[in-house]
Parts: sequence; structure tokens; C-alpha cells
Amino acid sequence: MLLDIVVIVLRETLEASVLIGVLLSLSQRAALDYWWLALALLGGALGAWAYGANLGAISDWFDYTGQELVNAVLQYCIYLQLLAVAVLQYFPGRGPRRCLQVLLVTAVTSAVIREGSELFVFYFGFMQGGGEFASALTSGFIGLAIGLSAGAIAYFFCVSRRASSARLVHAFLLALIGAGMAMQATGLLIQADWISAGRILWDSNWLLDETSIFGQLAYAVFGYEARPSATELGIYCLAVLAMGAAMFATWRWSRHAPAAAP
Amino acid sequence: MRRWLRLACLPALLAAALARAETPVYEIVIEDHLFYPAELEIPAATKVKLLVINRDPTPEEFESYELNREKVIMGGRRTVIFIGPLEAGTYPFFGEFNMSTAQGKIIVR
Repeated sequence: MLLDIVVIVLRETLEASVLIGVLLSLSQRAALDYWWLALALLGGALGAWAYGANLGAISDWFDYTGQELVNAVLQYCIYLQLLAVAVLQYFPGRGPRRCLQVLLVTAVTSAVIREGSELFVFYFGFMQGGGEFASALTSGFIGLAIGLSAGAIAYFFCVSRRASSARLVHAFLLALIGAGMAMQATGLLIQADWISAGRILWDSNWLLDETSIFGQLAYAVFGYEARPSATELGIYCLAVLAMGAAMFATWRWSRHAPAAAP
Repeated sequence: MRRWLRLACLPALLAAALARAETPVYEIVIEDHLFYPAELEIPAATKVKLLVINRDPTPEEFESYELNREKVIMGGRRTVIFIGPLEAGTYPFFGEFNMSTAQGKIIVR
């Protein structure tokens, strides 16, 4: 059971941790104060508690598909927020930097609510079932530490880039993480039968097992699915293209009209 | 204008409602951190609706990598998960909060 707890906590924290690592490095490059992270973690923890405490009632909404819909909205919102972050990184002014800070807060808050609510429900159930809280907390701490290590690796990978390539690395990672979020949200709408999945395109589990640590890491960084459906892959490609096009257009605009930039 | 819009949407809404009504329903019960039935047979190339009833007082997370499904079911509550259409084969699922006991399989024929 204790190993199970390590795995559960690791799985729930890995994705948010990698996202925080990348956004933290972007924040450092933009010379922002770190208060946004404290605010986002606090907001996320409170939101996760509120969402987790009401998950039973929320799940009953819309013919028992409320959980999928709320999670899908959260993940589409994260994609949109990352898209805005990716564009705003090309604007040096004070106003855009303030907007960037607000977006960092909302993106991380949404991610923590999404993943944290499941942890809240798990620990709540564990206590309800008479489990030993101290050992569960210790195991959870080990899972959290491994998850945070992945975030630290993402952070140090980004900050160790040279200034000339850092923006490109951030653009690339934001596009992949954002598209992964959009794809997961689409998967949830398929699960709720709100949209059709289309056919399963391939099975790459033999190449990279989804349950392995590398499979989980790939899931956290670019939304790896061993058996993607046509709809999921279509949304993934569309999300990458939309973000890429928005960043390219902004980059060109910022090069050709530097005086216009605030 | 609104009336015309409603009339235009009516066939699509009816089609969606009919499609949902025709979806076969299969029941899975969670009790003592076990799935009943632990093996469920469903037809190939057909979308089905799983009605998952959690009779335990504690929450459980229905999860399957093969089916690409993940959903928390709170204690004493029920939920719905749509799966398929699937090719013939075996698709394992498990309860993430009680992995050592809550294991099951969807067999598609």
C-alpha cells in the first residue's frame, strides 16, 4: 500500500511540477518576483480542497459527467493561459509583465486544483478507511519529492539555456505542455460522450510503456498517449499549430515594430 | 430568429438523444475494494456506457491505461463512464486508490 501511495502522489504531482518548473524559469528570465508562485500554490491548495470536498455533487451534474466537464474546462483554460504566456514573453513592457504574472498565477492555480483535488480525495478516503496517516504522509512525501525533482530538472534545463535560445526553448515546451493539456481535456469530453473519439490510430506501448516512469514523464511533458484517438491527435496538432502560429506572429511583429512595443 | 434556431437544432439534439438512449449499459459494482464483476464482456465495435456503483464508504478511482479512462467515484455514489467502440481484446482496469485488490478486465468479443 505504501508503494501505491508513492505512485499515486508521484502521478498526481509530476505534471503540475514540470509545468511549475518551466513557468518558474520563464518568470526568472522575465525578472519577475516570485510572489506569484506562493499565491498560486495557496490558491491552488484552497481550490483543490473546495473542489475535492464537493467532487461527489459535482460528478452528478450533467448525467454524471460533471467531473469530466469541470476537469476539461480547467485543462482547456490552462492551454489558453499558456498560449497567452507564450505570446506575452515577447513583450518587454511593464503592463505585459504584470499580465504575465497574473497568467502565471492562474495557470498554476488551475493545474494545482486539477491534480490536488484528487490527492485531497485520496487522503480523505484513506483516513476514512482507517489508514495510518503518518505512514501515508511519509509515502506521499517520497512521491512528492520525486515529482518535484522532475520539476527541478525542467527548471534547471530551462535556466541553463543561453539567452539567445531560452525563449525558443520556452516556446517549444509551452507548446508541448499546452497541447498535452488540450489533448487530455479532449479525452475527458470523449469519456463523457460529449464528442466522438474516432478510431484509435496506433499503439506505441511496446515502445514506451505509459505506466513506466519515462512514460509518465512523457505524459507530463508532452501529453504522451500510447493509444491516441483521431480526435485527440487532431486537437493536439491544432493546439501546437495555434500556439506556434501565435508565437511566430508575435515574434515577427516584435522584430519589425520594436518601437511600438510598450 | 430564436424559434428558427431551435427548429434547426432539433434534429441534431434528437439524434444525440437517440444515440445516447441506444447505448447499451453495463453495471460494475465496487465493494470491499473489489470490482464485481471483475471480468465484463462487451461487444466489439460498440460504444457502451459503464454504470459504476461504489458501495464502499471510501472513494475509488476507476482507471485504465488501455481504455484511456480515469474517473474518481466518491464513496456511496455512482457514476457513468463511456467506453468504445473497441476492437476485440482484453482491456484491464483498476482502482487506483486500492491497486492491490481492485483489478478487473473488459473483454471485448
